[in-house]
Amino acid sequence: MTGGDKPAEGGTAVRPGVLDGPFNTRQLLRLDEALRVADRSTGLTFSVYIGDLDEPARGHAEKLHAQLADPDRSVLIAVSPNQRALEIVTGAVARKRILDRDAKLAALSMVAAFGGGDLAGGVISGLDQLATHAGRSRARD
Amino acid sequence: MSVTETVLVFAGIPLAIVLVISGLAALGGGHAAKRYRPGRPFEFAPVWFLAAPEQLAGAQASGSHASHGELPAGTSRAALPAGSAAEQGGELVAAPTRVGATGGASDRW
Repeated sequence: MTGGDKPAEGGTAVRPGVLDGPFNTRQLLRLDEALRVADRSTGLTFSVYIGDLDEPARGHAEKLHAQLADPDRSVLIAVSPNQRALEIVTGAVARKRILDRDAKLAALSMVAAFGGGDLAGGVISGLDQLATHAGRSRARD
Repeated sequence: MSVTETVLVFAGIPLAIVLVISGLAALGGGHAAKRYRPGRPFEFAPVWFLAAPEQLAGAQASGSHASHGELPAGTSRAALPAGSAAEQGGELVAAPTRVGATGGASDRW
């Protein structure tokens, strides 16, 4: 990947705050790389939230999704380990490229990894699947 | 070799090596607990990852250094928008036009 030589640029820079999360440095770098590859290859905005969600979890995830700069072209993966809940929210434009059944398929494989205790691996493989289903970005962007 | 030298070489040196290795293992063992285990409570701070941090529009009101895309370290859950509090006051007609526009999937494990 072209961006691999600058792992800490821009995205999830490794700072003490993010190190309070459940990931170690290696996992953070992999997650950062996966996010950047997914964004660049699809033209959509992918983001990952890991933390508690208020009930109803779906409503809270949609509120978080609406906070993104361009919700229509964004995909949010919200994971709540305490509630054992996973929500994938796709915006209006993103939904046409990532069909709900494709999102469900990615969710199934992510949940399988989470059930084994592998948060980072599940998120990264889910990102990869979603980006694959979304396909290449179009030239008009 | 005298008895003292024999004891030093064949017992003292292995003992020293064992002590050094076990000491190193005890020092490095502290990081093992920092991961998610299914069934155990998840007590980490909420984190939000974005490839390009400036794409997070609304969540920067609470933290001064949220520009890196993830929530600041000490952000409590209360600082995040509540799940349905905003909708309880308004009537249905005034709801934003985005209702129902989102898709995706849900799952549990």
